[in-house]
Amino acid sequence: MAESGSNSAPRPAEPAAASQVIVAAALAWLVPGLGHVYLKRWRRGLLFFVVIAAAISVGCLLHGNLYRPIAGQFLSYLGTFGAMGMGIPYFTLRYGFGYEGRLDAPGFEYGTAFLLTAGLMNLLLVLDAWDIASGRKE
Amino acid sequence: MLSHFFLMVLYAFLVSLFFAVLWRRTRREQVVLFLQLFLGMVLGGLAVAWLMYPFPSGPPAPIP
Repeated sequence: MAESGSNSAPRPAEPAAASQVIVAAALAWLVPGLGHVYLKRWRRGLLFFVVIAAAISVGCLLHGNLYRPIAGQFLSYLGTFGAMGMGIPYFTLRYGFGYEGRLDAPGFEYGTAFLLTAGLMNLLLVLDAWDIASGRKE
Repeated sequence: MLSHFFLMVLYAFLVSLFFAVLWRRTRREQVVLFLQLFLGMVLGGLAVAWLMYPFPSGPPAPIP
């Protein structure tokens, strides 16, 4: 039975803290900003969501490339890793809507930049949520 | 929507806002960093465009 005396200092359960870190990072990856919302950074989480959702929307409107791995093209793997950083939106666009982008669209290059940037920004949010949850950042 | 300048400004706005909120805590610090990043990207882009202006653009690349 746990002691409730004043001499026993409260010690956070380490497995719980570790699980919170993992959950925060996973949520941050799945949905942009959700990791920060989970950590009670409501305003920042909402703003991150709006910014990344805007970047994804503009990228799709411009018919930018949503990277996918192509055999023999190493850079396509890097691009896919960056684009998959946006989490659920990547898989929704790829497999839900069959989105691929249009190479002949006038805004193809710009759209690709927006989509890739959205993924990379969300990867930074994963690291940020990890640092906040582990106490290394406010 | 397809204006190069508009898209550049929009891109700079989103990225600057993101990093200002990610890297700074107080409102004042966020505004300062946002302006630094935003103006740096927009003015830097214009400067690069101005430097490239004398060079011929050449024919458009073929679509594979």
